[in-house]
Amino acid sequence: MHLSRVIFAFWAAGLTAQILLLFVLLARHRARTFPVFTTLIAANVLNSVVLYEVALHGSKHDYFVAYFAFAVLDLVLQLSVTYELARHVFCPTGTWARDIRKGFLILVLASLAIAFALACLPSPPEKTVLGMLLDRGNLFSSALQCELFVGMIAFSSTANLPWNTHVARIAQGLGFYSLVGLLTEAGHNILTRNTMAYQSLTYVRMSTYLLCASYWIVMLWLPAPGPQELPEEAQRQLFTLQRRVEYDLRKLRAFKQ
Amino acid sequence: MTIRNLDFFGLLFVFLASILGIGAYYYLRNRRRELYPYGNWDELLKRLAPLDHQNIERIAEDPAAHSEHNVLRVETMDPQDIWRLLGGMRGIEVMEKNCSVLVDLVFYVQQWYPEALHIAEQLRLNAREVEWHIGRLKATAKSGRPPAAAAEYLQQAVAIYYHMTREVLALYEQANLPGLADLQRAL
Repeated sequence: MHLSRVIFAFWAAGLTAQILLLFVLLARHRARTFPVFTTLIAANVLNSVVLYEVALHGSKHDYFVAYFAFAVLDLVLQLSVTYELARHVFCPTGTWARDIRKGFLILVLASLAIAFALACLPSPPEKTVLGMLLDRGNLFSSALQCELFVGMIAFSSTANLPWNTHVARIAQGLGFYSLVGLLTEAGHNILTRNTMAYQSLTYVRMSTYLLCASYWIVMLWLPAPGPQELPEEAQRQLFTLQRRVEYDLRKLRAFKQ
Repeated sequence: MTIRNLDFFGLLFVFLASILGIGAYYYLRNRRRELYPYGNWDELLKRLAPLDHQNIERIAEDPAAHSEHNVLRVETMDPQDIWRLLGGMRGIEVMEKNCSVLVDLVFYVQQWYPEALHIAEQLRLNAREVEWHIGRLKATAKSGRPPAAAAEYLQQAVAIYYHMTREVLALYEQANLPGLADLQRAL
Protein backbone atom coordinates (compact mmCIF):
# COMPACT_ATOMS: atom_id res chain seq x y z
CA MET A 1 0.00 0.00 0.00
CA HIS A 2 1.35 3.42 -0.89
CA LEU A 3 1.17 6.20 1.71
CA SER A 4 0.84 9.77 0.46
CA ARG A 5 3.07 12.49 1.94
CA VAL A 6 0.14 14.14 3.70
CA ILE A 7 -0.94 10.89 5.35
CA PHE A 8 2.66 10.18 6.35
CA ALA A 9 2.98 13.66 7.89
CA PHE A 10 -0.26 13.14 9.86
CA TRP A 11 0.92 9.71 10.96
CA ALA A 12 4.30 11.06 12.18
CA ALA A 13 2.73 14.04 13.95
CA GLY A 14 0.08 11.82 15.55
CA LEU A 15 2.61 9.29 16.81
CA THR A 16 4.86 12.03 18.23
CA ALA A 17 1.91 13.65 20.04
CA GLN A 18 0.77 10.31 21.47
CA ILE A 19 4.26 9.41 22.72
CA LEU A 20 4.62 12.85 24.29
CA LEU A 21 1.20 12.53 25.93
CA LEU A 22 2.07 9.08 27.27
CA PHE A 23 5.30 10.52 28.67
CA VAL A 24 3.38 13.34 30.40
CA LEU A 25 0.86 10.87 31.88
CA LEU A 26 3.64 8.71 33.29
CA ALA A 27 6.12 11.43 34.29
CA ARG A 28 3.49 13.58 36.07
CA HIS A 29 1.92 10.50 37.75
CA ARG A 30 -1.45 11.07 36.06
CA ALA A 31 -1.54 7.38 35.03
CA ARG A 32 -2.42 6.44 38.61
CA THR A 33 -5.48 8.69 38.55
CA PHE A 34 -6.48 7.91 34.95
CA PRO A 35 -5.35 4.33 34.24
CA VAL A 36 -7.92 3.75 31.47
CA PHE A 37 -7.10 7.01 29.70
CA THR A 38 -3.40 6.07 29.86
CA THR A 39 -4.25 2.66 28.38
CA LEU A 40 -6.16 4.38 25.57
CA ILE A 41 -3.16 6.53 24.68
CA ALA A 42 -0.80 3.54 24.88
CA ALA A 43 -3.17 1.58 22.61
CA ASN A 44 -3.14 4.51 20.17
CA VAL A 45 0.68 4.41 20.04
CA LEU A 46 0.53 0.67 19.32
CA ASN A 47 -2.23 1.29 16.76
CA SER A 48 -0.12 3.84 14.87
CA VAL A 49 2.96 1.57 14.76
CA VAL A 50 1.10 -1.61 13.76
CA LEU A 51 -1.05 0.08 11.11
CA TYR A 52 2.05 1.71 9.60
CA GLU A 53 3.76 -1.65 9.35
CA VAL A 54 0.67 -3.33 7.85
CA ALA A 55 0.21 -0.44 5.40
CA LEU A 56 3.78 -0.84 4.17
CA HIS A 57 4.05 -4.62 4.07
CA GLY A 58 0.51 -5.99 3.98
CA SER A 59 -2.35 -6.01 1.48
CA LYS A 60 -5.22 -3.56 1.45
CA HIS A 61 -7.48 -6.18 3.00
CA ASP A 62 -4.96 -6.85 5.78
CA TYR A 63 -4.90 -3.13 6.52
CA PHE A 64 -8.69 -2.95 6.72
CA VAL A 65 -8.89 -5.93 9.07
CA ALA A 66 -6.17 -4.47 11.34
CA TYR A 67 -7.84 -1.05 11.21
CA PHE A 68 -11.21 -2.59 12.10
CA ALA A 69 -9.75 -4.52 15.05
CA PHE A 70 -8.11 -1.36 16.43
CA ALA A 71 -11.30 0.64 15.84
CA VAL A 72 -13.25 -1.83 18.03
CA LEU A 73 -10.54 -1.64 20.71
CA ASP A 74 -10.62 2.17 20.46
CA LEU A 75 -14.41 2.25 20.89
CA VAL A 76 -14.26 -0.01 23.97
CA LEU A 77 -11.44 2.05 25.50
CA GLN A 78 -13.12 5.39 24.77
CA LEU A 79 -16.31 4.21 26.46
CA SER A 80 -14.23 2.96 29.38
CA VAL A 81 -12.57 6.39 29.64
CA THR A 82 -16.04 7.97 29.75
CA TYR A 83 -16.91 5.60 32.60
CA GLU A 84 -13.63 6.47 34.33
CA LEU A 85 -14.40 10.20 34.10
CA ALA A 86 -17.98 9.61 35.28
CA ARG A 87 -16.64 7.77 38.33
CA HIS A 88 -14.41 10.74 39.18
CA VAL A 89 -17.38 13.13 39.01
CA PHE A 90 -20.25 11.05 40.36
CA CYS A 91 -18.47 8.86 42.92
CA PRO A 92 -16.72 11.51 44.99
CA THR A 93 -16.75 9.27 48.04
CA GLY A 94 -16.11 5.97 46.26
CA THR A 95 -19.75 4.99 45.71
CA TRP A 96 -22.16 6.39 43.13
CA ALA A 97 -24.08 9.45 44.36
CA ARG A 98 -27.59 8.21 45.24
CA ASP A 99 -29.36 10.97 43.35
CA ILE A 100 -27.50 10.17 40.12
CA ARG A 101 -27.59 6.36 39.74
CA LYS A 102 -31.01 5.93 38.12
CA GLY A 103 -30.70 9.01 35.89
CA PHE A 104 -27.27 7.93 34.66
CA LEU A 105 -28.54 4.47 33.73
CA ILE A 106 -31.43 6.02 31.76
CA LEU A 107 -28.94 8.37 30.05
CA VAL A 108 -26.76 5.44 28.96
CA LEU A 109 -29.70 3.43 27.58
CA ALA A 110 -31.25 6.42 25.77
CA SER A 111 -27.85 7.43 24.35
CA LEU A 112 -27.26 3.91 23.04
CA ALA A 113 -30.66 3.86 21.32
CA ILE A 114 -30.28 7.30 19.72
CA ALA A 115 -26.70 6.66 18.56
CA PHE A 116 -27.77 3.30 17.10
CA ALA A 117 -30.70 4.88 15.23
CA LEU A 118 -28.46 7.63 13.88
CA ALA A 119 -25.81 5.14 12.71
CA CYS A 120 -28.38 2.94 10.97
CA LEU A 121 -30.05 5.72 9.01
CA PRO A 122 -27.61 6.82 6.27
CA SER A 123 -27.59 4.75 3.10
CA PRO A 124 -24.00 4.76 1.88
CA PRO A 125 -22.93 4.30 -1.74
CA GLU A 126 -21.56 0.86 -2.59
CA LYS A 127 -18.98 -0.20 -0.05
CA THR A 128 -17.57 -3.42 1.33
CA VAL A 129 -19.28 -4.85 4.40
CA LEU A 130 -16.18 -4.10 6.48
CA GLY A 131 -15.98 -0.53 5.17
CA MET A 132 -19.65 0.06 5.92
CA LEU A 133 -19.34 -1.43 9.40
CA LEU A 134 -16.36 0.83 10.06
CA ASP A 135 -18.10 4.02 8.96
CA ARG A 136 -21.30 3.19 10.84
CA GLY A 137 -19.32 2.11 13.90
CA ASN A 138 -17.35 5.37 13.94
CA LEU A 139 -20.57 7.38 13.62
CA PHE A 140 -22.17 5.36 16.44
CA SER A 141 -19.14 5.88 18.66
CA SER A 142 -18.96 9.66 18.05
CA ALA A 143 -22.70 10.19 18.60
CA LEU A 144 -22.66 8.08 21.78
CA GLN A 145 -19.66 9.93 23.22
CA CYS A 146 -21.26 13.33 22.49
CA GLU A 147 -24.49 12.29 24.23
CA LEU A 148 -22.72 10.87 27.26
CA PHE A 149 -20.55 13.96 27.76
CA VAL A 150 -23.47 16.35 27.46
CA GLY A 151 -25.47 14.15 29.82
CA MET A 152 -22.62 14.15 32.33
CA ILE A 153 -22.32 17.93 32.19
CA ALA A 154 -26.07 18.27 32.73
CA PHE A 155 -26.17 15.80 35.64
CA SER A 156 -23.19 17.30 37.42
CA SER A 157 -24.71 20.75 37.08
CA THR A 158 -28.11 19.66 38.38
CA ALA A 159 -26.68 17.64 41.25
CA ASN A 160 -24.04 20.28 42.07
CA LEU A 161 -21.10 17.90 41.73
CA PRO A 162 -17.81 19.62 40.88
CA TRP A 163 -15.39 18.53 38.13
CA ASN A 164 -11.77 18.16 39.12
CA THR A 165 -9.49 20.18 36.80
CA HIS A 166 -7.82 17.28 34.97
CA VAL A 167 -11.07 15.34 34.61
CA ALA A 168 -12.65 18.41 33.01
CA ARG A 169 -9.72 18.88 30.59
CA ILE A 170 -9.78 15.24 29.42
CA ALA A 171 -13.55 15.41 28.99
CA GLN A 172 -13.36 18.68 27.03
CA GLY A 173 -10.82 17.19 24.62
CA LEU A 174 -12.77 13.96 24.14
CA GLY A 175 -16.06 15.83 23.81
CA PHE A 176 -14.68 18.18 21.15
CA TYR A 177 -13.07 15.31 19.25
CA SER A 178 -16.36 13.36 19.31
CA LEU A 179 -18.32 16.37 18.07
CA VAL A 180 -16.01 16.94 15.09
CA GLY A 181 -15.92 13.15 14.59
CA LEU A 182 -19.70 13.12 14.39
CA LEU A 183 -19.64 15.60 11.50
CA THR A 184 -16.79 13.94 9.62
CA GLU A 185 -18.30 10.47 10.07
CA ALA A 186 -21.67 11.73 8.86
CA GLY A 187 -19.87 12.75 5.66
CA HIS A 188 -17.96 9.45 5.49
CA ASN A 189 -21.24 7.56 5.64
CA ILE A 190 -22.65 9.10 2.47
CA LEU A 191 -19.46 9.56 0.42
CA THR A 192 -17.54 7.01 -1.63
CA ARG A 193 -14.19 5.92 -0.25
CA ASN A 194 -10.97 7.27 -1.81
CA THR A 195 -12.64 10.40 -3.23
CA MET A 196 -11.14 13.82 -2.52
CA ALA A 197 -14.08 14.84 -0.31
CA TYR A 198 -13.82 11.61 1.73
CA GLN A 199 -10.07 12.13 2.23
CA SER A 200 -10.54 15.77 3.25
CA LEU A 201 -12.92 14.73 6.01
CA THR A 202 -10.32 12.23 7.22
CA TYR A 203 -7.73 15.04 7.38
CA VAL A 204 -10.15 17.20 9.40
CA ARG A 205 -10.62 14.37 11.88
CA MET A 206 -6.86 13.75 12.13
CA SER A 207 -6.14 17.48 12.63
CA THR A 208 -8.74 17.61 15.40
CA TYR A 209 -7.08 14.65 17.12
CA LEU A 210 -3.70 16.42 16.95
CA LEU A 211 -5.26 19.54 18.42
CA CYS A 212 -6.82 17.59 21.28
CA ALA A 213 -3.62 15.63 21.98
CA SER A 214 -1.65 18.91 22.16
CA TYR A 215 -4.26 20.35 24.52
CA TRP A 216 -4.00 17.28 26.80
CA ILE A 217 -0.19 17.41 26.77
CA VAL A 218 -0.22 20.99 28.07
CA MET A 219 -3.15 20.64 30.46
CA LEU A 220 -2.04 17.35 32.01
CA TRP A 221 1.50 18.65 32.43
CA LEU A 222 0.23 21.62 34.44
CA PRO A 223 -0.60 20.83 38.08
CA ALA A 224 -4.19 21.01 39.33
CA PRO A 225 -4.86 23.89 41.76
CA GLY A 226 -3.92 22.82 45.28
CA PRO A 227 -6.71 22.13 47.76
CA GLN A 228 -7.34 24.67 50.50
CA GLU A 229 -7.49 23.55 54.08
CA LEU A 230 -10.77 23.67 55.93
CA PRO A 231 -10.28 24.80 59.54
CA GLU A 232 -10.81 22.02 62.07
CA GLU A 233 -13.61 23.92 63.80
CA ALA A 234 -15.43 24.34 60.48
CA GLN A 235 -15.08 20.61 59.77
CA ARG A 236 -16.66 19.82 63.13
CA GLN A 237 -19.42 22.30 62.36
CA LEU A 238 -20.04 20.71 58.99
CA PHE A 239 -20.22 17.28 60.62
CA THR A 240 -22.74 18.49 63.21
CA LEU A 241 -24.84 20.17 60.53
CA GLN A 242 -24.96 17.01 58.43
CA ARG A 243 -25.93 14.86 61.44
CA ARG A 244 -28.69 17.24 62.41
CA VAL A 245 -30.12 17.49 58.91
CA GLU A 246 -29.98 13.71 58.56
CA TYR A 247 -31.82 13.30 61.88
CA ASP A 248 -34.48 15.86 60.91
CA LEU A 249 -34.89 14.25 57.51
CA ARG A 250 -35.66 10.90 59.13
CA LYS A 251 -38.69 12.50 60.77
CA LEU A 252 -39.74 14.10 57.50
CA ARG A 253 -39.38 10.84 55.57
CA ALA A 254 -41.71 9.14 58.09
CA PHE A 255 -44.63 11.36 57.09
CA LYS A 256 -47.08 9.95 54.58
CA GLN A 257 -49.11 12.35 52.47
CA MET B 1 -28.97 12.15 -2.41
CA THR B 2 -31.50 9.53 -1.35
CA ILE B 3 -34.55 10.28 0.80
CA ARG B 4 -32.98 8.20 3.56
CA ASN B 5 -29.86 10.36 3.56
CA LEU B 6 -32.02 13.47 3.68
CA ASP B 7 -33.79 12.03 6.73
CA PHE B 8 -30.39 11.27 8.20
CA PHE B 9 -29.20 14.86 7.79
CA GLY B 10 -32.48 16.16 9.21
CA LEU B 11 -32.08 13.98 12.28
CA LEU B 12 -28.39 14.85 12.53
CA PHE B 13 -29.25 18.55 12.48
CA VAL B 14 -31.81 18.16 15.28
CA PHE B 15 -29.37 15.98 17.21
CA LEU B 16 -26.51 18.49 16.89
CA ALA B 17 -28.72 21.46 17.76
CA SER B 18 -29.98 19.66 20.89
CA ILE B 19 -26.52 18.48 21.95
CA LEU B 20 -24.97 21.92 21.46
CA GLY B 21 -27.91 23.74 23.07
CA ILE B 22 -28.07 21.52 26.16
CA GLY B 23 -24.28 21.28 26.41
CA ALA B 24 -23.76 25.06 26.14
CA TYR B 25 -26.50 25.81 28.69
CA TYR B 26 -25.13 23.47 31.36
CA TYR B 27 -21.49 24.18 30.54
CA LEU B 28 -22.00 27.92 31.02
CA ARG B 29 -23.92 27.25 34.22
CA ASN B 30 -21.04 25.12 35.54
CA ARG B 31 -18.47 27.65 34.39
CA ARG B 32 -20.23 30.45 36.24
CA ARG B 33 -20.18 28.31 39.36
CA GLU B 34 -16.45 27.68 38.95
CA LEU B 35 -15.74 31.39 38.57
CA TYR B 36 -18.00 32.32 41.46
CA PRO B 37 -18.21 29.27 43.69
CA TYR B 38 -21.38 30.49 45.38
CA GLY B 39 -22.69 31.82 42.11
CA ASN B 40 -21.73 35.45 41.65
CA TRP B 41 -22.19 36.83 45.16
CA ASP B 42 -24.58 39.56 44.03
CA GLU B 43 -26.54 37.06 41.97
CA LEU B 44 -26.73 34.71 44.92
CA LEU B 45 -28.14 37.43 47.12
CA LYS B 46 -30.66 38.25 44.42
CA ARG B 47 -31.65 34.59 44.36
CA LEU B 48 -32.23 34.53 48.11
CA ALA B 49 -35.78 35.77 48.57
CA PRO B 50 -36.77 37.25 51.91
CA LEU B 51 -38.90 35.30 54.35
CA ASP B 52 -40.19 36.54 57.67
CA HIS B 53 -37.50 35.06 59.93
CA GLN B 54 -39.48 35.59 63.10
CA ASN B 55 -42.44 33.68 61.70
CA ILE B 56 -40.21 30.90 60.39
CA GLU B 57 -38.56 30.67 63.79
CA ARG B 58 -41.94 30.51 65.53
CA ILE B 59 -43.04 27.61 63.30
CA ALA B 60 -39.72 25.81 63.68
CA GLU B 61 -39.51 26.21 67.43
CA ASP B 62 -43.13 25.14 68.02
CA PRO B 63 -43.18 22.05 70.29
CA ALA B 64 -44.99 20.03 67.59
CA ALA B 65 -41.91 20.35 65.37
CA HIS B 66 -39.86 18.41 67.93
CA SER B 67 -40.91 14.81 68.29
CA GLU B 68 -39.18 14.58 71.69
CA HIS B 69 -41.88 16.88 73.18
CA ASN B 70 -45.16 15.38 74.27
CA VAL B 71 -47.38 17.43 71.97
CA LEU B 72 -50.55 16.39 73.81
CA ARG B 73 -49.48 18.24 76.95
CA VAL B 74 -48.48 21.56 75.43
CA GLU B 75 -50.31 23.96 73.21
CA THR B 76 -49.20 23.60 69.61
CA MET B 77 -49.75 25.69 66.52
CA ASP B 78 -52.93 25.51 64.50
CA PRO B 79 -52.47 24.30 60.85
CA GLN B 80 -54.08 27.48 59.57
CA ASP B 81 -51.63 29.55 61.66
CA ILE B 82 -48.66 27.65 60.16
CA TRP B 83 -49.95 28.30 56.67
CA ARG B 84 -50.55 32.01 57.43
CA LEU B 85 -47.21 32.56 59.18
CA LEU B 86 -45.34 30.94 56.31
CA GLY B 87 -47.08 33.23 53.85
CA GLY B 88 -49.02 30.52 52.00
CA MET B 89 -47.88 29.24 48.64
CA ARG B 90 -45.41 32.10 48.19
CA GLY B 91 -43.66 31.08 51.39
CA ILE B 92 -43.20 27.52 50.15
CA GLU B 93 -41.84 28.76 46.83
CA VAL B 94 -39.36 31.07 48.55
CA MET B 95 -38.23 28.27 50.84
CA GLU B 96 -37.69 26.00 47.83
CA LYS B 97 -35.59 28.62 46.03
CA ASN B 98 -33.54 29.41 49.12
CA CYS B 99 -32.91 25.72 49.62
CA SER B 100 -31.20 25.49 46.24
CA VAL B 101 -28.94 28.34 47.35
CA LEU B 102 -28.05 26.32 50.43
CA VAL B 103 -27.08 23.46 48.11
CA ASP B 104 -24.79 25.94 46.34
CA LEU B 105 -23.13 26.87 49.60
CA VAL B 106 -22.40 23.20 50.25
CA PHE B 107 -21.09 22.92 46.69
CA TYR B 108 -18.60 25.63 47.57
CA VAL B 109 -17.29 23.66 50.52
CA GLN B 110 -17.09 20.47 48.44
CA GLN B 111 -15.23 22.16 45.60
CA TRP B 112 -12.62 23.99 47.58
CA TYR B 113 -12.09 21.78 50.58
CA PRO B 114 -11.67 18.21 49.26
CA GLU B 115 -10.67 16.88 52.67
CA ALA B 116 -14.24 17.58 53.80
CA LEU B 117 -15.57 15.67 50.79
CA HIS B 118 -17.34 12.78 52.54
CA ILE B 119 -19.32 14.92 54.90
CA ALA B 120 -20.04 17.57 52.27
CA GLU B 121 -21.33 14.88 49.90
CA GLN B 122 -23.74 13.65 52.58
CA LEU B 123 -24.88 17.18 53.26
CA ARG B 124 -25.37 17.85 49.55
CA LEU B 125 -27.63 14.78 49.33
CA ASN B 126 -29.56 15.89 52.43
CA ALA B 127 -30.00 19.41 51.11
CA ARG B 128 -31.32 18.02 47.83
CA GLU B 129 -33.76 15.85 49.76
CA VAL B 130 -35.06 18.85 51.71
CA GLU B 131 -35.53 20.57 48.37
CA TRP B 132 -37.47 17.54 47.15
CA HIS B 133 -39.75 17.48 50.22
CA ILE B 134 -40.52 21.15 49.80
CA GLY B 135 -41.25 20.57 46.11
CA ARG B 136 -43.68 17.81 47.14
CA LEU B 137 -45.39 20.14 49.59
CA LYS B 138 -45.73 22.73 46.85
CA ALA B 139 -47.37 20.17 44.59
CA THR B 140 -49.78 19.18 47.39
CA ALA B 141 -50.71 22.80 48.02
CA LYS B 142 -51.18 23.45 44.30
CA SER B 143 -53.40 20.39 43.90
CA GLY B 144 -55.96 22.20 46.05
CA ARG B 145 -55.78 19.92 49.08
CA PRO B 146 -56.42 21.89 52.27
CA PRO B 147 -53.17 22.99 53.89
CA ALA B 148 -54.33 21.46 57.17
CA ALA B 149 -53.90 17.99 55.68
CA ALA B 150 -50.18 18.48 55.28
CA ALA B 151 -49.62 20.82 58.23
CA GLU B 152 -47.41 18.51 60.25
CA TYR B 153 -45.32 17.64 57.22
CA LEU B 154 -45.04 21.33 56.37
CA GLN B 155 -43.97 22.22 59.89
CA GLN B 156 -41.21 19.62 59.84
CA ALA B 157 -39.94 20.92 56.49
CA VAL B 158 -39.91 24.48 57.82
CA ALA B 159 -38.04 23.34 60.91
CA ILE B 160 -35.37 21.58 58.86
CA TYR B 161 -35.06 24.57 56.54
CA TYR B 162 -34.72 26.91 59.51
CA HIS B 163 -32.08 24.81 61.24
CA MET B 164 -30.13 24.37 58.03
CA THR B 165 -29.97 28.11 57.46
CA ARG B 166 -28.81 28.69 61.06
CA GLU B 167 -26.19 25.96 60.88
CA VAL B 168 -24.88 27.12 57.51
CA LEU B 169 -24.51 30.62 58.94
CA ALA B 170 -22.68 29.21 61.94
CA LEU B 171 -20.43 27.20 59.61
CA TYR B 172 -19.54 30.28 57.61
CA GLU B 173 -18.83 32.13 60.82
CA GLN B 174 -16.57 29.38 62.21
CA ALA B 175 -14.70 28.89 58.92
CA ASN B 176 -14.29 32.63 58.55
CA LEU B 177 -15.60 32.41 55.00
CA PRO B 178 -16.16 35.64 53.07
CA GLY B 179 -19.53 37.32 52.73
CA LEU B 180 -20.88 36.28 56.13
CA ALA B 181 -22.52 39.65 56.85
CA ASP B 182 -24.32 39.62 53.49
CA LEU B 183 -25.44 36.06 54.06
CA GLN B 184 -26.76 36.90 57.53
CA ARG B 185 -28.81 39.74 56.12
CA ALA B 186 -30.15 37.54 53.30
CA LEU B 187 -30.99 34.48 55.38
